[in-house]
Amino acid sequence: MATKGMNLCNVCCLLLYVITAVLAGRDFYQILGVSKSASIRDIKKAYRKLALQLHPDRNPDDPKAQDKFADLGAAYEVLSDEEKRKQYDTYGEDGLKEGHHGSHNDIFSSFFGDFGFMFGGNRQQQDRNIPRGNDITLDLEVTLEEVYSGNFVEVVRVKPVAKEAPGKRKCNCRQEMRTTQLGPGRFQMTQEMVCDECPNVKLVNEERTLEVEIEQGVRDEMEYPFIGEGEPHIDGEPGDLRFRIKVLKHPLFERRGDDLYTNVTISLVEALIGFEMDIVHLDGHKVHIVRDKITKPGARMWKKGEGLPNFDNINIRGSLIITFDVEFPQTQLDEPQKEGIQSLLKQSSVQKIYNGLQGY
Amino acid sequence: MEIIHAVHVFVKSLLFLLLWSNCEGRESEHNHVTCGSLVKLLNTRHNVRLHSHDVKYGSGSGQQSVTGVENADDANSYWQIRGKPNRPCQRGAAIKCGQAIRITHMKTGRNLHTHHFSSPLSNNQEVSAFGENGEGDDLDVWTVQCDGIHWERDEAVRFKHVGTDVFLSITGEQYGHPIRSQREVHGMSTPNQHNWWRSMEGVFLQPSQVPLRHDEL
Repeated sequence: MATKGMNLCNVCCLLLYVITAVLAGRDFYQILGVSKSASIRDIKKAYRKLALQLHPDRNPDDPKAQDKFADLGAAYEVLSDEEKRKQYDTYGEDGLKEGHHGSHNDIFSSFFGDFGFMFGGNRQQQDRNIPRGNDITLDLEVTLEEVYSGNFVEVVRVKPVAKEAPGKRKCNCRQEMRTTQLGPGRFQMTQEMVCDECPNVKLVNEERTLEVEIEQGVRDEMEYPFIGEGEPHIDGEPGDLRFRIKVLKHPLFERRGDDLYTNVTISLVEALIGFEMDIVHLDGHKVHIVRDKITKPGARMWKKGEGLPNFDNINIRGSLIITFDVEFPQTQLDEPQKEGIQSLLKQSSVQKIYNGLQGY
Repeated sequence: MEIIHAVHVFVKSLLFLLLWSNCEGRESEHNHVTCGSLVKLLNTRHNVRLHSHDVKYGSGSGQQSVTGVENADDANSYWQIRGKPNRPCQRGAAIKCGQAIRITHMKTGRNLHTHHFSSPLSNNQEVSAFGENGEGDDLDVWTVQCDGIHWERDEAVRFKHVGTDVFLSITGEQYGHPIRSQREVHGMSTPNQHNWWRSMEGVFLQPSQVPLRHDEL
């Protein structure tokens, strides 16, 4: 009797738990794979990465793909909006006042362009006969700080969009050969312009917001395409909008691949007796340098892991290579100083003559 | 009764003031032309867009020609707004009225340029596209003339050349073959109805946040 009661109790508890779990709504932070304190940038980054992976066109064999993708869109819509995120954090999904307004397609296309689901970045060459509008390429200047930490650029695209207009227009115009009969057995072939009749359209300027991600480790000349966001074509498809990355020169650091190079000038005294200093890195953290031996001019120090993140695997970093040069004292030495130095350093005269250029 | 009426009027006028102050002159960040943006510029008097292409003038300097076209869907009408030579402007920063900029043709990488040559049709000052990969010379610089603080997207502005002081203009003269019906673009010394331009289609960069800094104590 007791066990039966216990079982019933267990079942009730389980049922209650399941019901509350379902009613409590989805865990948006878990869906995006971010912590509760994630910044808006982390959220955008997580969405963009997962959207590419979870898009139903990419997962044709998964019956749950559509649901997973819808959950992702809902999660981003709430967590990317300050107001909605606050409401969600306090009251859960049920606490959200309004329903989901924007369609997920709007969100997806602001990261990838209108026809972004054609994966691979380039159009499938299905039908060469469909005319296409011009492509637009924008040179996007990015700083080395952005290459190190990543960033998002919000862009407002104002472009002409075809809208219905009253009447008809000529479309698909082409040259055709017409044969006319002049008399019995006499024909004439002429070239004629032949057009179809299509519903009339007019081009109206519309605005939409796009999000371009500057990924960590991005290299010069890399392109981020937004399919379908280029110039429209009245009889066909729009062209693409491409953002071409241009990495700006930095006053302190030089990039070579994933490595960063910098130079430090130290005094002659520091070169001889040693020194301690900090180099402020691209994201503000300090790289501590300690030297207790003699530092020769041109000496190099390698700091592993202090370079740029690798674009393909941001967990791998390059190195920071520091080259030291020595600043000699500006004022000339007087006799006592000269004698003092001679006795302190105890280095005998060298005076070795040799060919330093060797053909350069 | 009078007091109630007075309070009624007071509350009404307060509400009206509140509403009015919210609607007035708050410049939204999203309506500016910003550094690094691509724009198409429409001459408001003649309804054509500033345009260039790989066709050189047959007279004057022989440099790449700049014209006005009627089409709204040609990528050759896109120009990038950039800072002066050696003084890059910050990406996404709104362009101020009076600011000196370069206007670089997207497809050919040449800068909007003018100099002391005569234009072929109207004998005004020739306007050409000059330079390579966005780098030309000091005659590539123009100032944006507008009322207010920043260059607004829906606003008509003038472009005054730094160096020769002419205004970017169109007066309607049309070319024949091979650029039939395209209008001549030239520099004129006086500001008038022919030198108003408005930004139309484009890709407008918004200012970004500075990447996170992890300052250690």
